Amino acid sequence: MRVPAHPGLYEVEADVPSLIGTRCSACGRPYFPPLPVGCEVCGASEDRLDTAALEARGVIYSLARVYVHHGAPEAPFTIAEIQLDGGPLIRGMLSADAGELEIGQPVSAVWAVTGTDASGDDIVEPAFVGAVHP
Amino acid sequence: VRAALGHLRPVRVVGVGLHPYQRPSDTPYTALGVHAVRAALADAGLAWTDVETAYTGTATTAMGMSRLMYRHLGATGIPMAQVENASASGSTAFRQACIDVAAGLADVAIAVGVDKPLQFSSPQRAAGVRDLVGSRVVPFTHFALLAQRYMYDHGATAEQLAMVAVKNSRNGALNPSAQRRKARTLAEVLAPPQVSGVLTRLQCCPISEGAAAVLVASDDAIERLGLDGDRAVRVLSSVARSETVYDGENFDAALTRETAAQALGEAGVTAADLDIVELHDAFTVEELLYIEAMGISPAGRAAADLEAGQFDIGGRVAVSASGGLLAMGHPIGPTGVGQVCEITTQLRGEAGERQHPGARTGLAHMVGVGAVCIVHVLRKG
Repeated sequence: MRVPAHPGLYEVEADVPSLIGTRCSACGRPYFPPLPVGCEVCGASEDRLDTAALEARGVIYSLARVYVHHGAPEAPFTIAEIQLDGGPLIRGMLSADAGELEIGQPVSAVWAVTGTDASGDDIVEPAFVGAVHP
Repeated sequence: VRAALGHLRPVRVVGVGLHPYQRPSDTPYTALGVHAVRAALADAGLAWTDVETAYTGTATTAMGMSRLMYRHLGATGIPMAQVENASASGSTAFRQACIDVAAGLADVAIAVGVDKPLQFSSPQRAAGVRDLVGSRVVPFTHFALLAQRYMYDHGATAEQLAMVAVKNSRNGALNPSAQRRKARTLAEVLAPPQVSGVLTRLQCCPISEGAAAVLVASDDAIERLGLDGDRAVRVLSSVARSETVYDGENFDAALTRETAAQALGEAGVTAADLDIVELHDAFTVEELLYIEAMGISPAGRAAADLEAGQFDIGGRVAVSASGGLLAMGHPIGPTGVGQVCEITTQLRGEAGERQHPGARTGLAHMVGVGAVCIVHVLRKG
């Protein structure tokens, strides 16, 4: 079984990670991470903010290899800004196995194991690797 | 009808004072702040009893900290309040002091920035906002991401980014109030430790403490109190904005573009008129982004213009003549007030070794996480 490192941000059952976002039913704006309380674009109230699955795939907008970090995970690691095919610009981890990636390259998420919980289940998060877009 | 600051009573900076920015020490914030206030009073030729209202720009020290500091100047009973607006706290405190004088609520007001790095709170945590990266992205990585994208968009090099820190370290070496007072070579700036992306340690501002104070006054007060009007510097405009939704454009740059355009417009000047610019150069890439966002250089040209010496003291427009956040330091609350101290000193022609010749018009710019942006335009005479 997989256990999410960030409960509420993605479904862990599927083999391919998909993100749990929000779509405003008043103006159509998609959000990730999910947006509570009210819409940043049009101000619609929470009852117009619907849960929406977003495919964890898109194009790299920017990258940074982080060399200094206190706490887990141990540096270095790489943070990517990804323009999701479904709309929002998000930030995520590149997979440690992703190899050399550049701005403009298509990426999609795979499961990365960040630890093990008390019952021996894998704690996972989406991490991005290079992808071939159709 | 909405009035711009420049259409209300004229507001003039009449006194400036600093406590040098420095590595965090055991000195209490009260001593830092009072040092800067006394320096500003002496510079203006004013007594504390002449000051009618006080705003304290602070973000990381303590709740309700103003009166414990100002009492050491003699408790006069004036109104006082802390102004918190992240990195733009000091700029916002200065804006409030200007508004009080412009509106006629006070004839003499003081803005004091003072901070020690005692507590950093996270609005995201308080709001319950969680994302995939969490604490793995801190400010230096936010700006490392911006740097990588800037280089991709404009073909700028890591060396060109580092040259911002070379220039600002050279300026900081001439500023007795700067925390980093050593002129650095390109090789020194590029040397490890690498922090995030192309950013090395010397391309990130230091953690600082310090204080800055600015006294503003009406023309009535200048006359009544016999102040030196020739050394006074007019606040031409004061503009504050907050982030909206910018699709496909970096929000730090877009917010600066909007705020600077409004501030220049309300001041009746253009970017080409600017002689002195102090901006939020907490990380090297920011200086290039904001120079372009303000219209001082066309998009993608700031790195080449900087390399050509256009932003040096004595160049086309002196940018971060104080050393900026990178070299003077970034104590948070004081930073925006300290920018006004530098611009005032430059416009008066009193900046000594780091004087930019012929300085007449200056612009102060800060952004604060959230995000907010504050821009002031000042002019001599």
